[in-house]
This record gives sequence, C-alpha cells and structure tokens, in this order.
Amino acid sequence: MRLQRRIAAIAVCCLLLLAGCWDSVELNRRAIVAGMAIDKGPSPEREYMLSFQIIVADEITGKNSRGNSPVVLYTGTGRSMYEALSNASKQIARFLSLGHIRVVIISEEFAREGIKGIMDTLERESEARLTSLMFVARGQMAKDCMTLMTALGKIPANDLVGKVENTSSTFGYNFRMEVDDIIRGIQVPGGGALMNGVWVSGDKETGKSNENMHDITPAAILRISGIAAFKGDKLVGWLDNGEARGVALLQHRLTQTPVVVHTDGNLIVFNIFDNSVHLKARAADPEHPVIMIRITQQASIKELNGNLDLMNPDMLKRAEAELEETTKKDVEKAIQIARSMNSDYLGFGEAVERSNPRGWKKIEDHWDDVFARCEVKVQVKAVTQSTEMRSRSMKMPE
Amino acid sequence: MGEVRMGIVQCFTLAMLFELGTAMVVNLGVDTGKDAWMSVLLGGIAGVLPFIGYIYLYRAYPDDPLSRYSRKLLGKYLGGLVALLFILSFMMMAARDLRDGSTMLVMATMNRTPIFVISLMMILSSAYVAHKGVEVLARTSLLFAVIVMLIGGFCGLMMIFSGKINLLRILPLLENGAWPVLRSVLVQNYMFPFGEMICFTMLMPYLSDSRRGPWVIVASMLFSALLLSLTTVMNLSVLGADIVARSPLPLMPTISKISISDFIQRLDVLVVMVLIIGVFFKITVFYVAALVGISDLFGLPYRTMAYPAALIILFLSVMNARGFTEHLDEGKRLLYTVFPVFTLALPALLIIIAALKRHRSAPRPD
Repeated sequence: MRLQRRIAAIAVCCLLLLAGCWDSVELNRRAIVAGMAIDKGPSPEREYMLSFQIIVADEITGKNSRGNSPVVLYTGTGRSMYEALSNASKQIARFLSLGHIRVVIISEEFAREGIKGIMDTLERESEARLTSLMFVARGQMAKDCMTLMTALGKIPANDLVGKVENTSSTFGYNFRMEVDDIIRGIQVPGGGALMNGVWVSGDKETGKSNENMHDITPAAILRISGIAAFKGDKLVGWLDNGEARGVALLQHRLTQTPVVVHTDGNLIVFNIFDNSVHLKARAADPEHPVIMIRITQQASIKELNGNLDLMNPDMLKRAEAELEETTKKDVEKAIQIARSMNSDYLGFGEAVERSNPRGWKKIEDHWDDVFARCEVKVQVKAVTQSTEMRSRSMKMPE
Repeated sequence: MGEVRMGIVQCFTLAMLFELGTAMVVNLGVDTGKDAWMSVLLGGIAGVLPFIGYIYLYRAYPDDPLSRYSRKLLGKYLGGLVALLFILSFMMMAARDLRDGSTMLVMATMNRTPIFVISLMMILSSAYVAHKGVEVLARTSLLFAVIVMLIGGFCGLMMIFSGKINLLRILPLLENGAWPVLRSVLVQNYMFPFGEMICFTMLMPYLSDSRRGPWVIVASMLFSALLLSLTTVMNLSVLGADIVARSPLPLMPTISKISISDFIQRLDVLVVMVLIIGVFFKITVFYVAALVGISDLFGLPYRTMAYPAALIILFLSVMNARGFTEHLDEGKRLLYTVFPVFTLALPALLIIIAALKRHRSAPRPD
C-alpha cells in the first residue's frame, strides 16, 4: 500500500513536469499579439515587414500600471512571412503568442500584388486562428493603422474589431470578414476576396502618444473605409457608397442600414432592419444564365422632413417604391462595378454551379466572359413595419 | 472463454470509439470534395457487409478468436501461419495509428515536442489498460464514450448558435455524378475506418451476450458512420470544400471558428482531447487483439507479452517512415494492397471453408 502511494506521488509529480512537454511556455514568458500589420519592405531581403501589436499585460490590469502605453509595436522583416515573424524576436523579450490575434491589416501595396503568400502562413500556422478579422490599409502603411491610442478600450486592435461590428450592425456598409472568408473568396473560380478598408485620418504622430486621448477631439482616428474588392488574391478596386451596401446585401451580411429617399419634396429616412435575399441562377443554357435576385426588406421610418401623410397607406407605398428603387440601384451598381473589375466576388458563378453543375463545367474556364454579359433580374420588395414613435410630422398642417 | 466478459453497452461504446478514433479528426473522402459526407456514409454501410461475414465465423466458433478457428479450418501449420500474419497486421495497424495520432498532436499543438516522447506516453497508457485486460478496456470505453459524446454535443450546439454553418457550401450534390463517390467508397471508405473492424474477431469471444452482441457492434458501426458523416457535413459547410481538402485535420479549424460573443471560443482544445481519446482506443483495440492472438497461438499467458508487444508497436511506429507525408503515402499503398488481404481475402477464404465444413458435417435428411 505504502509503495503504491509512493509510486502514485511520483507519477503525479511527473505529470506536473510534463504538462505541455517541450512546448510549454509559461504565461509570463508569452507576448500576446493582439494585432498584426503586414507591409511591403524596401528591398527583397526585407520584403515582408510584420508589425506586432503586443499587449502589455501590466498596463491593462492596472495594479502594476506605470501609466505607459497599453500596447507596444515591434517590427520584424524578412524575405517571407515566417522569417519576418522569427526575426522580430530580436526585439521582443518574450515568445510571440499568435493565438489571440484579433486583426490583421495588409498594406494596399501588398494587396495589389497578391496575398496568397500571406494567407498561406495565416492558415498553416497552428497557433493562429481563422477568426481573426482582415483589413486593407487604404493607401497608407498598415503599420500606421496599428499605432493609434484609443480612448474607448485600451487595446487598439480590439477597438478596431468593435468598430467593424458596430458599423456593420448600424450603418451596414461593412461587415466582418475573417481569414477563412478571404481564403474562400480567393479560391472561388473567377471570383475574389472582399476585405474591409481602414484609414487613419488626422495627425498620425500625435496619435501614437497618450496625447491622442488628452483632448476631446482625438488628433488621429482609425476608421473603417470602404470595401476592398479583389480579383483572386489581387486588389483591383474599392467599393465605397451604395455599391458597398449592395455587396453586403448580396453576401447576406447586411443587418441594418439607413436609406434616404425623396418623395414629392419630402425627405424620408428608412431604417432597414431585416433583409432576406434569394440569389438563384436559371442556367438551363449555361452560356446565357439568368441571375434572379429577390430581396425582401423590412423597414421602419426614422426621420421625416416634410409633410407626407404617413397614416395614408398609398402615400407610404410611394415612399416604399422609392426605397425599393434605391436598393435596386445599390445592387445594380454593385453588379456593374463587379463586372467592370471583372471579378465575381458576388458569387454568381457558385449560383450557376448550384443550379446546373454539368453546364458549369462547360463554362467554368470562360466564366469571366459569361459573367460580363449574363442577364441579371433584380426584384425588391420593401415593407414599412412601423413609423416608430410618431405618425405625422410636425410639418404636417392640421 | 474465461471469466472476462464485455457487456452489450460496453461493446457498443468500444466499437464506436474505435470507429471514430482517428477518423473523426482526419480528412475522410478527400477526393470527393463536397460529396465527401456521402462517401463516408455509404462507406459505413458497405463496411457492414464484411462484418456480417465475420459474424458468420463467430456463429460457427462462438468461443474462439480468429487465431484459433483459422487453425481449426486451415490445419495446424497453414492456419498457424495465417494467425501469425493477422497478429503482425494488428500490431502494424496499431503502430500506424500510433504514428498518426502522435504526429497529429505534434502538428496541431505541440510543435517542438519529439514524436517519440508522445508516442511513448501513448503506448504506455495503452499498455497499462491492455495489461489489465479486455474487460477493463471495454469499461474504460464506456466512460470515455460519454465524454466524447458530451464534447460532440456541446461543440455541435455551439456551432449552430454561432451561425457559422452555411449549407449552401455543400451544394450542388453529386456535382460530378455518382461515380466519384462510389469509387471513393470502393477504394477507400469501406476500409477506413470500417474495414478495420476485423480486429473485433479477436474480441468477440468475450461478448457476454453472444446472440445480440455482434448486431450491437453493427449498430455501433452504423451509428459511427452517421456521426462521421455529420462531422464531415459540418466541416464542409463551415470551411468550404477547398479549405477542407487542403487540411489534414479539418475538424480543428472548423471547431476553432466557434465564437459566441467573444466569450466561448478556442474550443479546438476539445478536438485535441477527442483525438487523444480516439487514438488511444484505436491503438489499444488493435494491440489487445494482437495480444489475444499471441497468447492463443503460442499458448502464453495473456499478460506475459503485453510490454514486449508495446515495445514492438512503439518502434514500428517510429521506424515506419521518415516523415508524415511518407507515412500517409505508405498508408495509401497499404490500403490497396495489404489491408484488403486481411479484411476481405483471408476472411472470405475462412468463411468459404467454414461453410463447406458445416455443409459436409450437417446431418442429412433422409
């Protein structure tokens, strides 16, 4: 009995030592990476410039806080992603922990040249995860988008995640795009990826320091800006206005969005809070497929500047017709721009494939041509569910 | 045979964990793209057919493992040779699974830990349970089956709640026609993991209920086929066929996509747990089957060879191949050459001889 107990005790001690085996890294030896920026370096030896936004745990918890920056940025360079990542260790005293990367920002320069090399590392690395959000730094260094102090929340990377989620659920022109969304987009034949754009406005130098939070108006703000459209893995253009909303709608990713319409000199702002989108292809003749898009939208009225009688269903129907027209224009604009960029990131090819798999095999190699000329029918129905807390406007004469 | 008995529920869970084993996490039916789940399901049904043959043999010799009735059917020398070959093949399959499991652990989580150390830990735990005998193994499986089902249910629910499943990604069905799916079933999916049930011929004599027992195992096979197929559907509808086809362990990235308001996330550690549990049972069942064979063929006590066999399996697994790609390539070649001999050809031979014998010795009506 005694002997058994002794053996058991030794075994338990061994278990403690063996936890994680050769790969064990204690928490105080880890540097948690919250965000990563990828820039193109000046020379082939330094082609990949990876900047890591690392959380300074002591500053976050507050107890041992020295009042310094809550994150720190280090940059490593190399001929490849992984070399740059390893190279960064020259400056970082701790083991880079990639498991908690929230955002990855790629510079526009890189995006225009192709990002397959970058995506390979992001999906191959067993520590990194597919739920990180991806962005393109619009016309700026990706690194600059990582160096701004934020007033709300201490970690800038989390701040950026919050911005995407917030604008997606209220404004609707952008939506979450994760690593695997990008990879799937790249791999669609004839299609391409979509990525949110980010852009720093204001004084970047001041933005780096605590001063950015001293004033009521921050000196520099990182903002979401447009959607980057890719052909395969190369950036080909930016979607900004109605077309961005059209794309979000066609991707089933539009949640809420304000739509401004004019009816008989009245300005009405609808808030669309529910969309259902049916995208089907009629492709009995694969060379001439017809893409059928049926959209149903539920809206409420948020704003009325005019004297339209909202209690009159006929009047409301006229406003709804305008709303339908606006949505239709957004979608058509989105399609038109996708065609001008020659990239089927809208997923029409997949719809054709679903409806006629055999026909798709015949047109797969020249889908670009078919996509450019195929017929698209857009049908929008909008319903105003409520006028919210008031019926008639103040401007309405009694 | 002896006092050792496996209950009905235990043999269900043992067969289930054995089937799910590595198959749950690895990439099944790679060649069939979006239709992989169909080939997995059909493979399960096709895999039952050879098992019905094994049941026939079991009915003929309910108290004997394969190594004993092979000698009764083929004679002392030829039958002994066949039994020896089976024992070797079980040890080799155990070694292959050990290599699979430890390499996958290294790939997925422990990048810098030597494979040998992980293999050693795994085979030692296997050896411990194998040393305790078949009954302990069966009882252990009941415990772990509950854990695996809980993990599976939890992950499935979380996956649905996080809204990452998009069933459009597995459409259109049968894009390239039915032939690629059938081909995949015929060359691969009937064998892995369902054909490997041959090793249960060594364990079936321990069944407590010889009448219902074999059919419980069949039910367990079909149930695992359903689970594997569902897992494949989940992988495909979360990641898309392209990413799945390029992933050696698609279940990990799939589960890592679960994120519920940034609070419940990184559930892929659970997949690692399932992987370890599954690999453990896969190795141990093959290993115990080999041990039963050894003790029967050479007339040794069951426990004498437990640790020597563990050493053989460990070194087979390490010396097997230089790298994982080589190991997988070898597996592919074995799939067409060696495995069908042991799961189809030799059992078929035994079945035919058993049928002839029974026919000849049957009392003839006048």
